[in-house]
Amino acid sequence: MTSVGPGARPVDPYRILEVRRAIRVAPGGVLIAVLMACSAPAGAQDLDYRISAVDEATAWHLNPATPYNAGNAIVPQPVRGNTGTADAALGYGIFSTSLGFTAVASDIQRPDYRFDVREVAVDLSLGESWDLLLGKKILKWGTGYAFNPTGVIEPQRSPSDPTDRLNQNEGRNLVSLTGFIGKSSLTAVYLNDAVYAHSSLAWGKNEIALRAYTFLSGLDLSLVAHYREGDRLELGANTSYVVGNDLELHGEVLAKRGSSMLYHAILQSDDPAQEFTAFPYAAADDDSREIFCKLLAGGQFTFANGINVALEYYHNQEGLTLREWKRWMNFVNFQDAVQRGAVAVDPSLIAPSRLNLLWSLLTLSPRGTMRDYVFLRGAYAEEGWSCEAICFMNAADASVALIPTLTWKASAPVSVYARYTGYLGSNGSEFGSLFTTSGLGLGIGVQL
Amino acid sequence: MRNSVSIRLSTAALAAATFLAGGTSYRPAFAQEGSRPDPRKLLEQADLSRNGWDTFEVTAVIRNYQNGELKDEGSFDTYIKGADRTLVKFMNVDVKGQYLLMLEDAMWIYLPNTRKPIRITPLQRLLGDASNGDVARTRWAGDYDVTLKGEEKVDDVACYVLDLVARSDGATYNHVILWVRTEDSRPRKAEIYLTSGKHYKTIFYDTFSVVHGRLLLAQMTIIDRLREGSTTTMTFNGYNPREIPEKWFNKDYLEKLR
Repeated sequence: MTSVGPGARPVDPYRILEVRRAIRVAPGGVLIAVLMACSAPAGAQDLDYRISAVDEATAWHLNPATPYNAGNAIVPQPVRGNTGTADAALGYGIFSTSLGFTAVASDIQRPDYRFDVREVAVDLSLGESWDLLLGKKILKWGTGYAFNPTGVIEPQRSPSDPTDRLNQNEGRNLVSLTGFIGKSSLTAVYLNDAVYAHSSLAWGKNEIALRAYTFLSGLDLSLVAHYREGDRLELGANTSYVVGNDLELHGEVLAKRGSSMLYHAILQSDDPAQEFTAFPYAAADDDSREIFCKLLAGGQFTFANGINVALEYYHNQEGLTLREWKRWMNFVNFQDAVQRGAVAVDPSLIAPSRLNLLWSLLTLSPRGTMRDYVFLRGAYAEEGWSCEAICFMNAADASVALIPTLTWKASAPVSVYARYTGYLGSNGSEFGSLFTTSGLGLGIGVQL
Repeated sequence: MRNSVSIRLSTAALAAATFLAGGTSYRPAFAQEGSRPDPRKLLEQADLSRNGWDTFEVTAVIRNYQNGELKDEGSFDTYIKGADRTLVKFMNVDVKGQYLLMLEDAMWIYLPNTRKPIRITPLQRLLGDASNGDVARTRWAGDYDVTLKGEEKVDDVACYVLDLVARSDGATYNHVILWVRTEDSRPRKAEIYLTSGKHYKTIFYDTFSVVHGRLLLAQMTIIDRLREGSTTTMTFNGYNPREIPEKWFNKDYLEKLR
């Protein structure tokens, strides 16, 4: 497992560099919590609850050949760790909330505990056809399994853990109005990632998203528009369709003019032997008139014996080309050589080189750093046993993240699982150069 | 399993007798139309045994047996509106919060941890040998073209043999041979075949019960022909005619349901 930064905790192996969440309660959450405490919905209401807990112990095998982490000293990685989560999803009348507790420990850090109000919302029915949602909520709009280009307001999915097995995703502060018209719906959402902390409210950027959905002649079709203050308008569509009684096809596309994505300056240079003295990232395509697309095409097939196979291809035009990746990797290899002492440099340059190495890691994305990916998943369940194998492959360098999981349902509420994660690829490939080569997790889950 | 089925059949016979004595609206399709029945009407009559009202709810309990030993059990609250809308709520503790929606030919499953409806196919398994379509698709007449192949006895019960070929994409199976009782068009047995022609499942419609004056399916048994020793029973109880909000059957409403 890999993670970055001082006091790193073992998170999902490919979730490196994800922005760490602070313990915080959104202002919308505070409002809803007060409403929940003060209000009693009219009429008899049942408390609906779903409580789950997971404990996962994992051992990792560090990658001795990684250029990111010479001697496990740049970003120290744990070899053993344990993550425990407990989640409660509660619903009472118009109110719903999802609360989470996470405890993390590893051989390189003391136990760390975190409590999150992942969701808290009030859902009002405005007559037969309209619903108003207010609070902190996860709204998902995409049709893809591992990738979600049109999920413009949802937590970005990790292809190595599409189902968020440890329930780490959080909702966003929003007000949503949805109209249900027969087999269609229209949703307008206003979002603001405002944070209430230290007795003050810090407003985030205003964000608006619209979606029109319809089901027509067997075709699921959604049109999506999204605008975030200071950024650019994104337009997209997603669809799904079933052919016969065993094949499902789906696709998503999202496009925008230009990109505010930050790129490392080294991507423009063939000389890797450089050290930057200032933050080397800039929005290189901010003024571009080029259309940047994210594209997903996929499907799933169910065999008569119950085996389900899902296949997806994902293209992200904001990702690195193979040439850019090689330039970046050469730069990282140079910094790594400096850190290992394999290149003779002035001793005063070693510390800046380390900083350059850390900066360069910001290029990596847990959802894939380059442009083209293939995702393959096979799953089968039989008599309390279920197995799943995920293969997440970089189509440009053929490196692979392979994640088989075997689960045994010991009883109705209790399941036990083993989850292996292996990264395969040559030195210099995306998955072959990660911090670890493999990890084995053993977990137990309880759901009430 | 077959022993227990024959015990249930006697219950069914009793229920049927009670029903017929009561003189309700359930009648053989061909009663006033001469000796050769219209296969489509037979199929529509057979559909009535699982669709008592235009809008109603029913609880389905699915039990999966392996060599006679109970391996898995699941309970599903099912809401049906019209001919092409079904909502299935998963009641077991380990699948709490899951929903299955059928609208026309399409099906979605909503999983609380993924927080979004996922388009699925009717053939995907719900539990044991029961496919999603076995619970969610309750009307043959809309899904299949039908021809009458003749008459045959099943366990000494006289039946018409109907040959069903899928005509809609949403049909759970490609090819079904269905035996319906000559006496009252109730389904008695079905054999399911894959596109390849391979015999996939055999379904016995074991027991029926009278609910609010209607004779409705109470239990069916599914025998998997591809997995030796695997048998699944589906028991239906708690039939309740009720109005169900239209928006429950909109895919986007699934995450709001509790």
